[in-house]
Amino acid sequence: MLPTGVLGVFADAAAVPFVAFPFEPRYVLSIVFVSLYVSVTAVVLSTLASVPLAIAVGFADFRGKRLVTSIINTGMGFPSVVVGLLVLVTLSNSGPLGHLELVFTKKAMIISQFVLATPPITGITLAAVTGVREDVRDAAFALGGTRTDVALTVVKQARYGIATAVLAGFGRAISEVGSVLIVGGNIAGAGGVSKTRTLTTAIRLEARQGRYELALVLGAVLVAVVLAVNAVVVRLGDSKTWTGGGLR
Amino acid sequence: MSLDARGVTHAYDDEDGGGGTGDARRSDGGTSVAGSGTDGSPVVRDVSLSVDPGEVVAVIGPSGVGKTTLLRLLGLFARPDEGAIAVDGTEAWAAGERDRLALRRDIGVVFQEASLFDATVARNVEYGLRVRRSWRERLRDELRGLVGDHEPPDAVRDALEVVGLADYVDHDAGSLSGGEAQRVAFARALAYDPNYLLLDEPTSDLDPRNTAVIEDAVADASDRGIGTVVATHDMNQARRVADRAAVLLGDGVVEAGPTERVFEDPRDDRTRQFIAGELVY
Repeated sequence: MLPTGVLGVFADAAAVPFVAFPFEPRYVLSIVFVSLYVSVTAVVLSTLASVPLAIAVGFADFRGKRLVTSIINTGMGFPSVVVGLLVLVTLSNSGPLGHLELVFTKKAMIISQFVLATPPITGITLAAVTGVREDVRDAAFALGGTRTDVALTVVKQARYGIATAVLAGFGRAISEVGSVLIVGGNIAGAGGVSKTRTLTTAIRLEARQGRYELALVLGAVLVAVVLAVNAVVVRLGDSKTWTGGGLR
Repeated sequence: MSLDARGVTHAYDDEDGGGGTGDARRSDGGTSVAGSGTDGSPVVRDVSLSVDPGEVVAVIGPSGVGKTTLLRLLGLFARPDEGAIAVDGTEAWAAGERDRLALRRDIGVVFQEASLFDATVARNVEYGLRVRRSWRERLRDELRGLVGDHEPPDAVRDALEVVGLADYVDHDAGSLSGGEAQRVAFARALAYDPNYLLLDEPTSDLDPRNTAVIEDAVADASDRGIGTVVATHDMNQARRVADRAAVLLGDGVVEAGPTERVFEDPRDDRTRQFIAGELVY
């Protein structure tokens, strides 16, 4: 059964000539900004670290490769609350990085989301790179490609998989509640502007306070943001200007 | 001036479908290459073969005898266990990596499968040219490609002209038929003007029309001074395109010489049986 407040939104909208927003736009915008800033920064940093790591692991033959792959895959299922707890302990005053005074800041949230996003981005990229057929490498090599050319061609061939990896990392980061709540604190400053409050932590807060209209609006915004980012990443991965690519 | 295999022995057979991953020893390109057969016995045994500029040499023999492995050795995909590969007198595996790359870039390879990249025909054919450019030029080309301002160089159009696909420049490689794709693969190997071409069963999956186009392209390459080694089990094709033929059986090249002489007057009993279709292998 829907809360009466939700029905009230629609009733009010029908009764007045303009939509009566059940929230302060500046407040919502600041939450969206913090969510995007933290998640995008964490995913960009994670992608910069994860993709080269996955390529290196995928191309290299070394003892213990299977163990490394297993560790990466295991990381995909690591509980986010535990990640948040570990990051909090590390950054707390008594922790090894306490002197940086990062607890309850956006930087702490970025670190936490970086840790969460890295395993899926690395793992899926690794699967995509190692899944490229030998023909790609052979063709690139036969045409005079260097080791770097061959690697770049394989990466281009695996571009859809890599785009999926980035999306998976972004999805995990932006939809995360537990760790950002622990290390960020869900803080809104004076004037109702978010400092470390994200869409997910705000939804949790508003729902607990019974403000379902605002929680639903924030939920819709979150879904819209994820859809928009997915569309951009898929569009980039689909570009015909790429020159590596799949075989036929 | 010639591409030579000098007494090469190697213990890996690509035709077995090993794929070359796992514990394979890798060449400087990081591609699949060497290793060992299921029993570790040599697949290519003490083979010597030479191709001169403008000459077409057919390597014939039954499937699984090591033709592909021999071509991969000639293409510097793998270092032979014994013997040497020399390109224009330079022993490839005695040279440094940079020099070996230069030697490798004198050789074009066409596989049994077209293995085209997921891009336009022009981008496929241009690949070999692109990897020879400086990173600065390549970055500029990529940026031009992003805004649709990149025109394929004349060499790309010329190579496509040879295989009769000059109008296919902007076609998506994924939209081509199998025969057209193989012709594009041939053009791709031809575009950067190599001195030698290695063709591994290039027409085994093609219809007569596409086969004829490829064979005409081989003749055209020969006229341009390109030395070609074509591995095939199609006797008629070997007779049509090759100046010389080498018969490869389990223990190496059992007979080699001018094509007509090998077919009309074989000196080795197994060659005679193989040509007559009587050799059970």
